[in-house]
Amino acid sequence: MRRVEHVMGFPVSLRVDDEGSWESAADALFAWLREVDARFSPFREDSEVSRLDRGEPAPDRISPELAEVLALSERYRADTGGAFDVRLPGRGLDPCAVVKGWSVQKGADLLRAAGARRFCLNAGGDVTAAGGPWRVGVRHPEDAGRLCAVVELTDGAVATSARYERGDHIIDGRTGRPATGLLALTVTAPTLTEADTVATAAFALGRDGVDWAAARPGCEVFAVTADRRVLRTAGFPVAESGQAAA
Amino acid sequence: MKRVLPVLVLSVAGLIPVWRYTPAAPGPSVAQPAPTPSVSTAPGGTTRVVAGPTVDTEKGPVRVEVTLEGDRITAVRMLQQPDHPQTTAAVPVLIEETLQAQSAGVDTVSGATVTSDGYRESLQAALDAQGS
Repeated sequence: MRRVEHVMGFPVSLRVDDEGSWESAADALFAWLREVDARFSPFREDSEVSRLDRGEPAPDRISPELAEVLALSERYRADTGGAFDVRLPGRGLDPCAVVKGWSVQKGADLLRAAGARRFCLNAGGDVTAAGGPWRVGVRHPEDAGRLCAVVELTDGAVATSARYERGDHIIDGRTGRPATGLLALTVTAPTLTEADTVATAAFALGRDGVDWAAARPGCEVFAVTADRRVLRTAGFPVAESGQAAA
Repeated sequence: MKRVLPVLVLSVAGLIPVWRYTPAAPGPSVAQPAPTPSVSTAPGGTTRVVAGPTVDTEKGPVRVEVTLEGDRITAVRMLQQPDHPQTTAAVPVLIEETLQAQSAGVDTVSGATVTSDGYRESLQAALDAQGS
């Protein structure tokens, strides 16, 4: 079963390879993602995030899910010395970088709870998969039609942050300026919550973010620096035919 | 002597991919040019432990201790390191490779495919179309 829908402003591709009908499980997954968009988008005036930013609900009256997102955001802010920040000065509260990975991972958990064992969920280029091996290509930072690596994923997640599609949109919270030290950075981790947020946070840190992400337990890193060098951890799960010459 | 110590500290920093000195940046200023044992004129075959001066880097003060067998560095220990995100955990050694372009068969594609325009032109769109 395959389905593609546009939610939260990006395409979400689902593939379930288990026998049986997965339409209702897919319905529940996409309904959850649309609910997340309605509640946590900073671009919707009536979202819980926008209302919190305007000071409407008292901070102790926010939903448990938003509290979870804000707690995750704070953890990554502290871990990056402020480079990753969902509350940049002069800008509204924007937890998108945490919400995306967190909500898609929760969506994958819904599929698993419904009995799916072999599936691959790709949300705007960030992937969480189960029951592999799955071959996940890493988009070449300078050529949308090519790959620069192929990852083999059994159960886990892959996320990529890059400048090639939305330009310099990731801000280094330490300087308030766009992060430009890297062209792209890909992280594998057990969950997409971790992979996606670590990829964004490491990208915000620039070249230093490669070491920072590599040191996180469970994370493997593949980075392309601004001067087109590849830096990766030894444990980055490169698939066989994607392996570079030693 | 004054030249030797910054060079030693720089080479140590190069061994540990924790601090990065940008090529354009001026060399680290020696905050404490404290008297330390000579490095260049030491006789071979002896083990010595040399503590370097405290060096101010862009991340904060750094001080290393180096163990030498003759004129070879055999161990490096941090005496002082900045309170900075990269220094809070051991950093695995990174492998450096050249950037390659390939088009191997894959199930899905990871990349910053966030816009609808980007998606239409992406490999992921082709893979989705193929499977439906």
